[in-house]
Amino acid sequence: MTELLQALILGLLIGGVYALMASGLSLIFGVMNIINVAQGAFLILVAMFTWWLWKSTGVDPILASVVTTPLMFGFGWVLYRTVISRIRGSSTSMSVLLTFGLALTIEGALNVTAGNKFRSATPSYFEESYHLGSISLPKPQVYGFVAAVLVLSALYVVLAHTWAGRAIRASAQNPSGAALVGVGATSTAALAFALGTSTAGVGGSVLSVLYPFFPASHYDWISRLLGIIVLGGMGSLPGALAGALVLGLAETLTATYWSLRWSTLVFYLVILVVLLFRPQGIFGTRLREDVVA
Amino acid sequence: MMLLRRVPRGHAAAGLVFVLLAIYPVFYPYATYYQTVLLQAFLLSLQAVSWNIVSGYAGYVSLGHSAYLGLGSYTTAILALHWGVNPLLVAPLGGVTAVVIALALGVIVLRTRGHAFVIITIALLLAMQIVATNWRSLTKGSDGITLELPTWSRDIQNVPFYYAFLLLLALTVLFSAWIRRTKFGAGLVAIREDEGKASAIGVNTTRYKVLAYVASTFFIGVAGGVYAYFLTFLNPVGAFSILASVMIVLAALAGGRGTLYGPAVGGFIVSIGGEVATVHGGSSSRVLIFGVALTLVVLFMPSGLLPTVEGWWRRRHAETTEYTDQAGALAAGAVTAPGRAAAPALAQALLEPTGVESAEPVLLDVRKVSKRFGGLVAVDGADLTVRRGSITALIGPNGSGKTTLFNLVTGAMRADSGEVWLDGRRIDTMAPWQRGHLGLARTFQTTRLFKSMTVQQNLVAPLPDSGWRRMLASAVSGSEADRARELLDFVGLGRFAHRPAGSLSYGQQKLVELAQVLMLEPRIVLLDEPAGGVNPSLVGRLGDIVRDLNRQGVTFLVVEHNIPMVLELCDPVVVFSRGSSIAEGPPDRIREDPLVLDAYLGDEWRPPGAEVAAGPDAVTGTSVEVTPGRSAAGPPAERGSS
Repeated sequence: MTELLQALILGLLIGGVYALMASGLSLIFGVMNIINVAQGAFLILVAMFTWWLWKSTGVDPILASVVTTPLMFGFGWVLYRTVISRIRGSSTSMSVLLTFGLALTIEGALNVTAGNKFRSATPSYFEESYHLGSISLPKPQVYGFVAAVLVLSALYVVLAHTWAGRAIRASAQNPSGAALVGVGATSTAALAFALGTSTAGVGGSVLSVLYPFFPASHYDWISRLLGIIVLGGMGSLPGALAGALVLGLAETLTATYWSLRWSTLVFYLVILVVLLFRPQGIFGTRLREDVVA
Repeated sequence: MMLLRRVPRGHAAAGLVFVLLAIYPVFYPYATYYQTVLLQAFLLSLQAVSWNIVSGYAGYVSLGHSAYLGLGSYTTAILALHWGVNPLLVAPLGGVTAVVIALALGVIVLRTRGHAFVIITIALLLAMQIVATNWRSLTKGSDGITLELPTWSRDIQNVPFYYAFLLLLALTVLFSAWIRRTKFGAGLVAIREDEGKASAIGVNTTRYKVLAYVASTFFIGVAGGVYAYFLTFLNPVGAFSILASVMIVLAALAGGRGTLYGPAVGGFIVSIGGEVATVHGGSSSRVLIFGVALTLVVLFMPSGLLPTVEGWWRRRHAETTEYTDQAGALAAGAVTAPGRAAAPALAQALLEPTGVESAEPVLLDVRKVSKRFGGLVAVDGADLTVRRGSITALIGPNGSGKTTLFNLVTGAMRADSGEVWLDGRRIDTMAPWQRGHLGLARTFQTTRLFKSMTVQQNLVAPLPDSGWRRMLASAVSGSEADRARELLDFVGLGRFAHRPAGSLSYGQQKLVELAQVLMLEPRIVLLDEPAGGVNPSLVGRLGDIVRDLNRQGVTFLVVEHNIPMVLELCDPVVVFSRGSSIAEGPPDRIREDPLVLDAYLGDEWRPPGAEVAAGPDAVTGTSVEVTPGRSAAGPPAERGSS
């Protein structure tokens, strides 16, 4: 019983972090129909930067997200303006290929500059835990979860209660309609892309503590995150949350009752089973598309 | 003409290159290094050509295609060790494994439109790595499997592999060329261009996509088996390498996605280029080089090398532009009977020329159908009957649910409740293409032709049945090409057969789309605003065509805002408002119906002289009850033709 409870709580904690990472991806897809395959590489890039910052100055890696998040916001904005916006209007598959190219470029650059080896930020609380009765809550997981929830809430507030957020949601639902009422498509897209990549700021900083990483780890991460949004329903933020929790739980439960090595595979199997019965994902919908030009 | 001259030239060049490559080892049997470089290029080329079947023709990008190389390698290695036979003998079973896995995955992931596929393909590669690493009893885990060295002399070590890969490459290219020539291949391109439209003209999109995916894996699986023997060692990370997948994508993209030879050429460029870069720059920068190359290709040469060169060539040798003239379109061609509807239809036309009475049996029957989008009820318990041989009009203000009803009838969307019957068969649970095969066809509000295909290719894309024989028949076969020409002449556009559909005027595209759906030999055609955005002379021509076809037995259901055209052409007229029909009858009666006037024009409006004819109380009294508050939403601008 304790074992199960422990696995469930750990799954929720990890699921929260996954939710944060996947929500950026889902936002970008929902607004622009761009599948940002480079999101995993962004995470590793930030993790590497955080690790370097922690190593050279001793700044707490998770607190470093205060710096990395705005940095990634700016990075995303510039990247959209200079590169991504060039393929506006072409098919989603072109965006996949372009961001795939960017992911490889980042991986290759990290390979050349930082070397192809595992790293992990290990602050003082790295192996400490809080205890609730017989259940232990590892401190890094708890801090990571708190950071994730804070940023997710902030993202929600921005989307729900600011003009910019409404503009983003309007563009997601009806780009031409939004353009007609004065919501500039390019600037809104840049904003949404920047918001989406900024989640990789926190995500990457948290990742640097929770998991060992090396340049090619971004494949692992992007396939997990993409799996989450496929499972939840492409472009749906609630779907991303649900998918993330399923992944977190699938991983910890598999690790507890079977073996850690199979946990990712179990998650993929869960996705396939869900798609078998619900091809559009848990929260996915199909819309009228006959008059879309 | 250009096309006819170009295609054989491409084949001739390919044949020449094949012969040169085939005789190369005869003259240089000991050039082991160059043979190795070339055979790696063959391997990458054949993978890129295979990838192109699903990701180029059908447009569904796979980012983990090298997984099938690994699957083929492991299958072959395991079986060869287990049975104690030469790996080359069991290599074809590697292809079988690839096909089985692709089929299972495709059936699950490719049923819907959209982007789950590309994502699952990334996951596939990693999942395979996990399995190969952890299923130790089968794969020996990360220790890997070592095969026995080839039995032949080390001096000519690579020559057999060289020929094996060259042969596989040739087979793959021939396979891809064959697919491209069939209706199957044409259907894949149609899916890439507009999947919803493809399913509306009878293409079983699910079957096509799954088959394309499966077809794109077989030769890679076989090659994987040969490759395992070539390497004599395989481990999870090497066999399921992401960089290998990247190279496939880059090769196909650089050469020209969707073309026949582009991916093959790209395979040589990327493989040999990668080798040169490794020799001069070391292997640590390979990922960076491929990443930058992929980014640059997508940004600056998205259509690939061959199409870019071809486009440049065509600009240098421009054809004289033939302006689309209206006279050609307006000159009515001889009216021809559309296929199976013809014989009974003509007899029927003789019996009953025009003006269909209610005695005719019901062909299309919509019963209590509803569809909601969130809180908005677009179609609300709508009933609609279309009698055989009629030209039924469906009119109503914008947003009254007409197009949604079309979507429900044709299967582009599923209704929340209600039933749709076509000629005594319930069709509302069928896929769009099945409905098409039963003789239900539609055109779209904004035309949805496959713009990059020629007019003729557009016309032969529809599939009137789901037979395998038709699917694997040549795309532009004799009888169908004849039929297409006949129909094009019928709509007056015969001379545009070989022009890209996108270059035609909007009105002409509407006529082409009509001719296109007539290739389905439909019993009933749903026209969604056929006159919208079309100039008046073409509108007249369109009316004539519809009447001609109707006389031959084709039933029509027409959504249209051009009221004069509707009243002249159609009988009966059904009026839709707020998701259901509010009136039905012959045009004369509809013209006077106060409910209709109200739904279109709002509460305040009165027909000239209506105060005398019907009295204000009668008009407003009824209308308030049925469509309250309509005036706010129904702009008077919809009164006339749009």
